[in-house]
Amino acid sequence: MIYFDNAATSFPKAPGVGDAMADFLANHAANPGRAGHRMAVAAERMLDDTRLQLAKLFDAPDHNRVVFALNCTDALNMAIKGVLGAPVTDTATRDHVITTNLEHNSVSRPLQALADAQYVDLTRVDCDTEGIVDPAAIEAAITPATRMIVMTHASNVLGTVQDAAAVGAIARKHNVLFCLDAAQTAGALPVSIEKMHIDLLAFPGHKSLLGPTGTGGLYVGDRCPQPAQPDNPNTNVPTLRPWREGGTGGDSSTPTQPPLYPYFLEGGTPNTVGIAGLARALDYLADADPASAINHERAMIQLILDHLADNRRVTIYGPTGPDAATHRVGALSINIDGLEPSDAASILDDSFDIATRPGLHCAPYTHRRLNTYPSGTLRISPGPFTTNDDIDALLNALDQLTA
Amino acid sequence: MPHDLDRYHRQMLLPGFGEQGQQKLADATAFVVGCGALGTVIANMLARAGVGHLIIADRDFIELTNLQRQVLFDETDVRDGIPKAEAAKRKLATINSQVRVDAIVDDINHKNIEQLIRAGDTDIPDILIDGVDNFETRFLVNDVAVKHAIPYIYGGAVGTVGMSYAILPHAIPGATNTPPWQTAGAATPCLRCIFEQAPPPGMNPTCDTAGVLGPVVSIIANYQVNEALKVLTGNYDAVCPTMLSIDTWQNTYKQFKVRRAYDVAECPCCKQRSFEHLDGKWSSATTTLCGRNAVQLSQQPADPANRRKLDFDEIANRLKAHGQVTANKFMLRADIKDNGTDYELTLFTDGRAIVKGTKEPNTAKNIYAKYIGA
Repeated sequence: MIYFDNAATSFPKAPGVGDAMADFLANHAANPGRAGHRMAVAAERMLDDTRLQLAKLFDAPDHNRVVFALNCTDALNMAIKGVLGAPVTDTATRDHVITTNLEHNSVSRPLQALADAQYVDLTRVDCDTEGIVDPAAIEAAITPATRMIVMTHASNVLGTVQDAAAVGAIARKHNVLFCLDAAQTAGALPVSIEKMHIDLLAFPGHKSLLGPTGTGGLYVGDRCPQPAQPDNPNTNVPTLRPWREGGTGGDSSTPTQPPLYPYFLEGGTPNTVGIAGLARALDYLADADPASAINHERAMIQLILDHLADNRRVTIYGPTGPDAATHRVGALSINIDGLEPSDAASILDDSFDIATRPGLHCAPYTHRRLNTYPSGTLRISPGPFTTNDDIDALLNALDQLTA
Repeated sequence: MPHDLDRYHRQMLLPGFGEQGQQKLADATAFVVGCGALGTVIANMLARAGVGHLIIADRDFIELTNLQRQVLFDETDVRDGIPKAEAAKRKLATINSQVRVDAIVDDINHKNIEQLIRAGDTDIPDILIDGVDNFETRFLVNDVAVKHAIPYIYGGAVGTVGMSYAILPHAIPGATNTPPWQTAGAATPCLRCIFEQAPPPGMNPTCDTAGVLGPVVSIIANYQVNEALKVLTGNYDAVCPTMLSIDTWQNTYKQFKVRRAYDVAECPCCKQRSFEHLDGKWSSATTTLCGRNAVQLSQQPADPANRRKLDFDEIANRLKAHGQVTANKFMLRADIKDNGTDYELTLFTDGRAIVKGTKEPNTAKNIYAKYIGA
């Protein structure tokens, strides 16, 4: 199988990830923080070390604020519902939230549900025809009631990279929280919580970080509302709400979640086995040249773009041209004239052993913008381990499909 | 209601039957899998013969082209568009009110079959009778038959050809509770002893593509009932141990000896007790396509390393009577009007398909079974 679905989850994973998970499961799989015995302490230490690795990678000031999540969706729910999930009694005090039409359903759906419940007012800022959102358009949408900007760092349909640093600066200037969905960029592009003024960073462990599924995380910056202090309930101060509540190890005496990071948001036994795999993947990334993966993926994308440029039966969405790949991560959407995306993907799988992803990619607003709703597009997403032979096989298949 | 046996007088006169045999029928539960041409004849005759409890399962609805051979249905049923199993239940109630009928309107698959055979608060049924239109379900029923030691009467008909064969499963080697047919020396090889795998999809004609002669289905179904009555009355030594194959147009009638198949085959099902069809190893999967009025059906290739490609020319030939068909080396697309609804069927070389025009997995499976053949 030639794998071009890395935007969904990377494959293969970083070398050694499976071994690290098997080793943890076989030899160290105690429940972290729930007991004082050596194995439990070691498991807790493994989690803590991984938090440190992630804090270093994302330029985060406090590793205890790296909260493990099941995936990026889980992290985004924690962030969005944590800040905005309080019922609103007085419509005059309702928060305003800005998002874009490039968002994945993991952002769109929780925000829309909050808007439908009249907890928030929602503005969805339009991208341009290339799939780029102008930071000035976001700034223009800010009102005195704006509480948060939630946006993706790169479109999962088009791969187009957004100017997160500019949006972060705007958010900071207007005293608005900035929540960045790094689903397509964490591990691929530099993400600096400090420099990009990110207040909430959601990331998956299983995409460009090359770890296993079931891993991800949320960084919660100190500008976010804080957990309520059980001994000092001040009802006038907005507080962060835990998305999951339950056992945290450590302090079990408090009637609600202990107001201490990361435990406040980490109810339930974490996915230690997956995190052990993620830790190995982070080691691998730390040893590699940080730019090598993205440069490789962009080179692969550029080969595809160049080859398809003259093919009249192929529509390419997003930036095209000689340096177009520099505006993208490793994802590209196309359509073939006369062939439904689902048919094209089935043929590539059936006749050529090539895995791609047809459809809406959980981003219906993007496809409405591209006029590709409801059939969607055929998404091709190479990864760090994609070879030139893989690209040749793909281009040969596309040539045959469009002959 | 106590069973009134008078109406069965002519049947009770038969040797090996009597009042005792009739009582056995009254106490019996038969599971009729599928209620089309075979299933309606089977259910009709079992109800008339006085089998006390019938469970009839079918996912399909009645259409006009069924009436040529599906004997329990009439034009009113077509007009009302009612499910086959439900219509059969209503009709059977007027034929023999002493018979209890449970109708199941559902797709039968590896996830639900072991619940469905216990419909109507019965334990396991006394017999499984085949009225289905696809081999995937037949191999599934065969697994259930062997696993739970339930006799299974296989039957199939298409064109002018029909086959039938009674499977009286062998018990687990060394088991203490040997089934009575095995004690009587009448156990027979299972379907997988004879055919290791179900034929791949798209390889065989279907009634909807090749047509079907009413009498041949009726003959096969009655032959199945014939064998079922022997089993249910305990006349195991009378059960035919061979596989019948007939062509009523070409006038060929053959009996294949299959008994040795059990001895020579290392059957995964009845010798190794590995119920791969029931475990879902070979089952097709359905996915409703994101944002589309379409369902994708994926087949589990029997041998992924050495998979067979469908013959699009042959399939196009079969389908052209139903609508426009186009094919290239990658895919075949057919417009099909089924029971008044338009579908677009896209078939790929490994047997997977996308059925456009429905979001219902059961409808898509039905279209596939009818026009491609599963």
